Amino acid sequence: MGADHRAFLEATLPHLDVVYQVARRAAGDGQDPEDLVQETYLRAYAAFGSWRGGSTRAWLAAICLNAARSEARRRRRRPWEVPIRVPLDALPMARADGGQDTADVADVVIAGLDAQAVSRGLAQLPEPQRVCIVLMDVAGYTAAETAQVLGCPRGTVLARVHRGRRRLAQLLAEAGVSHGQP
Amino acid sequence: MDSHDRGQRLLGAFLAGELSSADARRWDEHLLACEQCWRAVREDRAGRQAAQLLRQPAPPGLADRVAFAVELTAAGTIARQRPRHGMRVRWRWLAAAGALAAAVAVTVAVLLPGGHESGTMPAAVAAVARYAQTVPPARHPGPGPGRPGAPVEVGHPVTLAAGGRQMVLRVWRLGDVEAVVAISTEPFAMPARAHGVTGPGMAWTARLGSIGLYCRNGHTSELVAAPVPETQLAALAARLPPA
Repeated sequence: MGADHRAFLEATLPHLDVVYQVARRAAGDGQDPEDLVQETYLRAYAAFGSWRGGSTRAWLAAICLNAARSEARRRRRRPWEVPIRVPLDALPMARADGGQDTADVADVVIAGLDAQAVSRGLAQLPEPQRVCIVLMDVAGYTAAETAQVLGCPRGTVLARVHRGRRRLAQLLAEAGVSHGQP
Repeated sequence: MDSHDRGQRLLGAFLAGELSSADARRWDEHLLACEQCWRAVREDRAGRQAAQLLRQPAPPGLADRVAFAVELTAAGTIARQRPRHGMRVRWRWLAAAGALAAAVAVTVAVLLPGGHESGTMPAAVAAVARYAQTVPPARHPGPGPGRPGAPVEVGHPVTLAAGGRQMVLRVWRLGDVEAVVAISTEPFAMPARAHGVTGPGMAWTARLGSIGLYCRNGHTSELVAAPVPETQLAALAARLPPA
């Protein structure tokens, strides 16, 4: 084992968990997130010699997204694409009140969340918003790191994540109200 | 600047976490008066909390699997092989990436720390245990094809070189357990903390982390490594095909 390989693992393995968060959402249909993580690390290792430093986990996330996109292109599918559009009214959301359609969005969302419903709701968002939410809220990247990953201004990231969060909350709430579950 | 514009500016600063103490006070006052911004903040928070539900820790063993793949690549002993039909290639296919034909085992040199017998664990035994640590839990438990409970081989054989000897490793699935079986013409040295097992030949059991080890030394020696208690290893080994 070479020293560079040990240095690589020391620098990157602490970020495995956040890379896994990204991989779980970036992996397309039929892709195994764990395979994507491994592919990310192997690509990163291959590029480690020319890496100029900076945020290691942002660098890994960018590689992960690129690996997912490469695979999606190879499959002639776009990443972050949901193969089957799930009707929002199928989301198992709870109602926050006794049936008022004007229920507060935030209350409705918080009242009846489950991860599967959120995952389906997230899939309804435009890709730029979805990517920002995954990186910041799911994986825990900062806005600056997310901007570095995506190669766009930090303000753009903040605007996208804000719009995405609001839209996600609204979608989930609408689903909860229209679904009519107590 | 009217109230709405000021609210939008404050909202942007709030979302960026860049509110000064003076702006924070103005922001609080603004929220009390502006239904639009109040709703924006509430929805932002609800969306963020919802998304955070999607966090899930990385599976146990993924770090070992990744490290192992990097180590193999670093050792230059296998070439990365891209699958023809997608990335859905499990780790063991990568570990056996040199296996271009199903019946051909590849030769992989595993360079253990120091490349020699280290500590109380012989290098060959440590290599097998380390390999077994990269095996993820079976995702689709079940006996697979064949009679119920029959072992099903997973992937292709891999030849490892460690501690100056070569051995062939195969992975077998038995129900919800996947076991690595190393076969060698040389006996596997007994680690310091191993326990002898009565029976034919020189058998022993040991534990290395989460991996239980069961060895049957003889004309052909077998070392079984699986994430099961030592007490179950002999019974598990008995279900495996003879070497």
